[in-house]
Amino acid sequence: MAVLGGRLVRLVFLGKFGDVAPAALAEVALPGGVRTLGDLKDWVAHQQPLLGAAMAATRTRLIVNQCVAHDLSLPVTDGDEVAFLPPMSGG
Amino acid sequence: MEVRIVQQAFDPQAEVAAFAAGRDDAGALVSFVGTCRAGTGGMAVEELRIDHYPGFTEKEIARLAEETAKRFDCPDLLVVHRVGPIRPGEAIVLVAALSPHRSDAFEVVRILMDYLKTDAPLWKKETGPEGARWIEPRAEDYARRLEAEKR
Repeated sequence: MAVLGGRLVRLVFLGKFGDVAPAALAEVALPGGVRTLGDLKDWVAHQQPLLGAAMAATRTRLIVNQCVAHDLSLPVTDGDEVAFLPPMSGG
Repeated sequence: MEVRIVQQAFDPQAEVAAFAAGRDDAGALVSFVGTCRAGTGGMAVEELRIDHYPGFTEKEIARLAEETAKRFDCPDLLVVHRVGPIRPGEAIVLVAALSPHRSDAFEVVRILMDYLKTDAPLWKKETGPEGARWIEPRAEDYARRLEAEKR
């Protein structure tokens, strides 16, 4: 799946998102147009419409390298791990 | 303070006994065990599956535990949380707190449980004869969490 010069990122889908996320999205080479976390979210939704619909129907939080991302205009960089979190069920 | 995420069934009584062993400094020990119900809202539950985000879930629960312990006289705290597939009757969560005073030990356990119900990065899926569904916190869970912040 590697693309010359592309950024490889790992994607993690939790809870109900995991039910509709294909295994192919676990590690992806991002196209050049996907620069920010917001772009990534839109790109993922476009790649997998079921996932896009699930994310649109609920609050989605992004966690980048294990830290909560408050700003979706931040860039996605090579080697990042980005997790998509639906509302938590709690303990 | 210890926070553990476990994949297998655990024995809450043995965990509490090990946690409290030799702690003659405390005087009060309070523990809470949450177990898997065989049904919720009229729907039978055959299996509960809890999804977690390795690393992040532990870090967030540890943060909530530290913040809660800091607000009271609580020298030590234990949290054990089960993830993966769970059968009705099995323990899901154990919170145990040591303190020189019983009121502090009770408060730490109660408030930390209120936080865990809404803020722990865990996702629960119940499966029964009618199918499967993902669980989200109830309005009363959020209300308790707000109350916990005020105390």
